[in-house]
Parts: sequence; C-alpha cells; structure tokens
Amino acid sequence: MAMETIIADANGIAASTSPSQVRVQLSTRYPDISLPENPGPILVNTNFRRYALSTLVNTLLQSERPIPFDFLINGTFLRTSLDEYLTANGISAETTLAIEFVRATIPPLYLASFEHDDWISSVDVISESSPAGKWAGSAGARRLGQERMLSGSYDGLLRIWSMSSEVLATSPSAGSGGHTSSIKTAKYISPSHVASAGLDRTIRLWKYSEDPDGFTASISPQVELYGHKASVDSLAVHQPSSRLLSASADHSLGLWLTKRSDAPAAPTSLLPSANSRSSKRRKLGPSTSTPQRGPLSLLRSHTAPVSDTIFAPNDHTVAYSTSWDHSLKTWDLPTSTCVDTRSTSHSLLSLTALPSLNLLAAGTSARHITLIDPRASATTISAMTLRGHTNAVVSLAADPDSNYGLVSGSHDGTCRVWDVRSSRSEKDGRVGESLYVVERESMKGKGRKIGGEGVKVFGVAWDKGVGIVSAGEDKRVQVNRGKGMVAEKSA
Amino acid sequence: NIDPESLLPKLPSLEELKPFPTTCATLFRGHDGRVRSLAVDPSGFWLASSGDDGTVKVWELLTGRQIWSVRLGSEEAVNVVRWRPGTEAVILSAAIGENIYLIAPPFVDPEIETKGREVLDAGWGYAANGATINATKEPAIQWTRPGSRLEDEGVLVKFSLRKTVKVISWHRRGEYFSTVCPQAQSSAVAIHTISKHLTQLPFRKLKGLAQSASFHPSKPIFLIATQRVIRSYDLSKQELVKIIQPGARWISSFDVHPGGDNLIVGTYDRRLLWHDLDLSVRPFKTLRYHKKAIRAVKYHQGGLPLFADASDDGSLQIFHGKVVGDMMENATIVPLKVLRGHTVKKELGVLDLDWHPSQPWLVSAGADGICRLWT
Ligand SMILES: [Mg+2]
Repeated sequence: MAMETIIADANGIAASTSPSQVRVQLSTRYPDISLPENPGPILVNTNFRRYALSTLVNTLLQSERPIPFDFLINGTFLRTSLDEYLTANGISAETTLAIEFVRATIPPLYLASFEHDDWISSVDVISESSPAGKWAGSAGARRLGQERMLSGSYDGLLRIWSMSSEVLATSPSAGSGGHTSSIKTAKYISPSHVASAGLDRTIRLWKYSEDPDGFTASISPQVELYGHKASVDSLAVHQPSSRLLSASADHSLGLWLTKRSDAPAAPTSLLPSANSRSSKRRKLGPSTSTPQRGPLSLLRSHTAPVSDTIFAPNDHTVAYSTSWDHSLKTWDLPTSTCVDTRSTSHSLLSLTALPSLNLLAAGTSARHITLIDPRASATTISAMTLRGHTNAVVSLAADPDSNYGLVSGSHDGTCRVWDVRSSRSEKDGRVGESLYVVERESMKGKGRKIGGEGVKVFGVAWDKGVGIVSAGEDKRVQVNRGKGMVAEKSA
Repeated sequence: NIDPESLLPKLPSLEELKPFPTTCATLFRGHDGRVRSLAVDPSGFWLASSGDDGTVKVWELLTGRQIWSVRLGSEEAVNVVRWRPGTEAVILSAAIGENIYLIAPPFVDPEIETKGREVLDAGWGYAANGATINATKEPAIQWTRPGSRLEDEGVLVKFSLRKTVKVISWHRRGEYFSTVCPQAQSSAVAIHTISKHLTQLPFRKLKGLAQSASFHPSKPIFLIATQRVIRSYDLSKQELVKIIQPGARWISSFDVHPGGDNLIVGTYDRRLLWHDLDLSVRPFKTLRYHKKAIRAVKYHQGGLPLFADASDDGSLQIFHGKVVGDMMENATIVPLKVLRGHTVKKELGVLDLDWHPSQPWLVSAGADGICRLWT
C-alpha cells in the first residue's frame, strides 16, 4: 500500500506546511486502540503537545467519544512540546519520530473510607485476581464484588471487611490468643487463611471462616510462630509451597512453613513462659492452647533492621530483602544463603517487584524510590530514581494493570502513582515523577502536616478490581479507584 | 603575584557533604510539659524521652508511636534518660529529682529482658554486705528496690544522690556510669558500678560547680566540666591530666569525638567551641550561630562526620566535622543546616539532642513538649 504523507494540525485536518514541522510515525501495542490502517509518517507542527497529538489519534480512530492518550518517545512520556523534546534530546527535525500511544491514566478517584479505632499499619485485599485469590483457584475465588479486605492495626487486632465497609470479623484480643502488641503487617494466604505479625515479635496464622450468608464470620488462631527477637515488620506469602517470609528489626529474615504439621518446634527461650514476668502477665487472661512453632531458618547477613521482603516473582526459591543498612539482598532459600548484595546510599524501607522490567523498587528514608536491577549482569546500582515524596517511603505495590506502574505510601501522608516511563534524564541518572498524588481524604483541605503528623501512610495495596487501598495514622483505610485509572471514557 | 583567593582553604560544597539531616520526619507528642532529655537506643529502633511530667516514654523511632511509658513521680521532672550501651541487654537509666532509677523495660523479647534483669539484679549480694567504701561522714549511698508498683513495670533499682541529678553518662562497656549533681559540691560527681550496686565519689576536691562529666571513648580517662574549664583525669593513675580552657563563661555540655582526640563544648553564653586535644588546651575553633544559650552538643558516634547543637533559640545547628588522622592537619568544620520547628516556651527552646547510632538522623527534645526526628 502506498503511504502518503498527511499534513495535520491540532484538529487533524490537512493544513498548509508551516516552518517548523516534524514527521511522526504513530503506533500502539494495544489492539483495542490500534489505528484501522497504518497512516505512515504524519507531518505535524513541532508546537504539538500531548493534547494535540491525542486529538489527532482520536480523529484517525474516528472515536465516538475521545480517549485521552499519552505518548511515548524512546520509552519516555512526552511532557513538553515536540519542539522542546527535539531540542532537549538534540534530535533533528528532519528525523521521523517513532511515537507510541497508550491510554492516559486519569486521577484515582476517592471511593470509600473504613474507620478504625487506632493507627492501621497494613492492608491486603483478596479478590479473583489477587495472588492469594489466584492460588485458591476457582474453588476459592471470590466473584467480583465479593472481595474482602484485611487490615492490621496498632490496637493489636486484625479485621476483615466487606467492600461495603462492614467489619465481618475481628481477631481475638491478647488474652484470648491474639497479638499482645501492635500489628505491623498482615497478608492473605488464601480466602480462608491469613498471617500477621508485629511488635510482639510473633507471626500468627489464622483461620477465617464465613457462612455463605455472609452474616457470621470468625478469625481463629491456628499457629503462633516464634524465632524473631524484635518487631516483625513485613511478611511475604507463597501459598503453593506453603512458605512464608518475615522481615524483622532483629536484622534477620525468617523462612517459615504455613503447614503446622511439618513446621519445626518453637525455640523455648523465646516463648512467653520463658520469662517469669511475662508468665505472670499471661495469667491475667484465659490460657489458650494455640500450637507454637519455629522457623525453617533465620537468614542473617543484614546489619540493621530488615524492613521488607518479597519472593522473586517467577521463582519462589529466591527472596529479596531491604534493610536500614542501605542494602538490597538476594537470597537463595533452599540453602539459606545471601547470594547478592546491592548497596545504596540510604536506608531502604519498602520493596516491590516490577517483573516484566526485571526491576525492583525500593522506598527510602530519604524520600525517594530507587529502581534496582537485581540481576548479576546489571552494571548500575540504580536504574532510576522516583522523586516527589517529602517523607519516608514505607510501602509499595505494583500496578495490577500495567507493567510500568506502581503506587507508593509515604509518611508524608500521601500515596503517589508512578509510571516508570514518565521520566527524564538528569546529571545523576534517570528521574521519574509521579502521575498522581492521592491525599488522605480525612485531611482534605487541612494543609500540609509537619512530620506527616496524623496522616502518615503505613500500608498500601493495589488490586485489579478494588483499586488502591491505603491505610495509616488517620485510622482509616482509604479506597481509591485504581482500575479506572486507565481511562475507559473521556476524562 | 599570588591570588589571595588561592590561599583560602577550599571548603567542600554542601552537596558533597550529604547525607545530613534536613527535614522533620516525625513528631513525638505525648509528654505533658517540657521534654528534658532523650536518647536513641543502641540498636537504633527506639527513642526514649523524659520530662517535667515525671514520666519516661519509649517510642518507635520512625513512626512516632509511643510504645511504653512509666511514671517515676509527679512532683519533679525526669531530667535525664540514657540507655546503657550494648544490645545484648536493654537497660534504661533515668534521673528524677535526686533519684536514679534503673529499668529493664518489658517490651523487649524474653531472652533480652531476662538478661537485663540479671544485669540489674547481680549486685544485690554486694549491697547486702553493706560495704561502706567512702570514708566520709555521710552514710554510703544504698541501692534499693523501688517497690512493687514500679518493679511490676520493670523499674528494678533506685537510689538517691541527695541533690538534683542533671547528667548521666555511661562508660562504653556498660559496667559503669557517672552522674552529676551540680549543687552537691564535693559529692557532685559520682561513679556507679552496676555489678556491685556501688556508688563512689572520687572527685571530692573538685574546684568549681560541676556541669557535666563523661568517660573517654577509648582510654581510661574521665572528663569533668565545671562552669569554665574541663579537667581530664587518668582513672588508672588517679591523677589530673590536663585542664581544657574553652574561654567560656558558663559551660552547659560537652562531647568527646569518637576518635578520642577532639572535643566540642556548648555554653550558656551562646558559643560552640571545638578543641583539638593534641593541639592546645584552648579552642581550635569558636562557632557563634545561636541567639540564645546552647543546651546540648553531640558528635555522631557511628562513623559519620557530623555534629550538632541545640539552643534555647529553638533551633539546632548541624555541622560537618571531619577529623583527619594526620596530626599536622586540622579538622574541617562546615556549617550545614539550621533545623527549625520547636517553639520557644518561657525562654526555653531545644533542651536535648541525640544522633542515631548509625544513620544520619537526629532527634531533639523541646520545651514545647514535643520530640522531633530529623532525617
Ligand atoms: Mg512495609
């Protein structure tokens, strides 16, 4: 087919040649928005920005309702005019620019808040598309709209919520087999099993049961796991291999079995009865008989509190961990050995994986997120830095709908949504900026809080169906629509 | 012709001197009245604070969550709280009025709590012998059990020094700590031995009003600041080594560099003085950055070339302070950042500060009742 050059202006109508123009070749990798026929190189004004290009693509698509598009040149979003882009990158206007278009994201909309009595450290969601939902398969998968949310609180209690903000069940209090101090992390293992851990140094596994009518539900203790000597601040779950990873302030990682029958015995010196004072305190409550178990192994190599840990996305025998000691470590779990250490300049406080990019994202105490390629072949420590937060970045979650997206929760009282393609080159490497800032709805219009007082975000999760779920010092779990961020209709 | 500019020492740029604390990351709100003292624990995970409300509180350092509190009294301020060095046992020392309390706090794991209790309980046998070590007219200072209410909270030892205690400083091995009671004259400076529950008063002939005291970080040397001078003593030979003369009117505090050869001094007459102990008994550098009295000065103890002071003007000043091994080369001192945020209340601003043991983080205690973490 012969390609003729179309001359377009902002309305997509052919116009006479103007002094500064450039040829662009438009393409997309998404079939549902691909152009009906390849238009070939199009001559456009170099004063075009994203909006004008978006209008052009909608004209070519003959869309009934315009779709907002974003444009990628060499893997980076166009955030200036084409002219400024060409100048900044030293590209001649004679070149034909290859431009990829994708649906633009729209601001995450506030949906709901779930009120608690105390600070909330951690949130998780189970749905048909969440990891624990997928492991459960069709038998345990919840229909859309029947998702459940798990929250762990500084009051020491776990709560399971329906998405209509009802508490379906609360875990037992300290005297009845519950945590004896604040919960710092909570995760779904399956629709009927959850794990939690926190300041009392224990990891606890729980059975969740819910009547089909949804009116009666309960959380009952199954196993208490002992081995850590300080706060347990993060858990990672791999249900198919019955493995659990824990990150502790005692500088170690724990590897545990979630099957009680196979798990090693608990170290007696760490049990509450090992100390006369604690056992005196224990007599206050009814005695419980929850089985107690120990770790498969404790992985030691970090020299400061371990802040976060994950299983490698495609290999559950490999784990990654971040620490206040500034390093990200790779672990071979069958041999319990540290096989790689990447040292950065700051304390690392949170971790998530961007599997298709072979990158790990680590949140720092120095207010940014650093993207690290953990493969041995990687030559640079930091592939990119995401800047914008004004306080520690303590929680991260990958976008379930995009290989390039992630959300971060910070002590500055915000969550930020990032697309790693939205970045620019600076003298110390690639720097990304956030697409959106999600404020705490509870503090709306009250201005910035010094030291994040009252608004610190401690935990964030991102579910395909439910959206961005975040929680913190404002005692509220906040849900923002994440799925809809990839625009289905005009913003 | 020599360009005079070329003779000036080249100071490194602020960018090169990172990391250092620049912003307030966390507020610690919960004290009723002034916070007098604070300290980050040796593991770097907890913050202890104390104040006019008679309580000692422990907080999660990063989040600002209060995790423990004990009331030691209601009439007097807890003027000092300090952690015993070391991580194998966790022990807090605190001074309220004339009394010292030693605490094995219950929020640690059973093994560590047991070790802490063993460290504090080991000396009861010695105390029962009623040894009268110092041959003075006053009866020996007796270490006692503070009673069941406090003992249930983990407060295991109490003793009185008869005058208000203003300073506690620990020896690095955690076996000894010293205290200063400025009004106690000949018994102002005491040294306490944990394993024997023993209090000794070896500096009875001290001239001047004692202000602060500290063990040298590596040598058997003990330093005592009076209003105008700092005397260093050799503990093994029991003799005066030298008299350091900052030239100040009234010393509030001092700190020895972890390398052992340098010293910073803060004064009520608004001066911060750096002494190179190998060079001279006079200050190597005088820094005047505050409008009001300097209350506290501290070096970073974890290998970062940082020091800071806290002032009644409500601010903290952060400095780069690089000590070189070479005797011929002077320390590089660069002012880095003023940290503002504390509110001045009744002429009082920032009353204490401490560095994180390894991170470039600082904590400050305010007369405004709030502690702050700066990162
Ligand atoms: Mg986390």
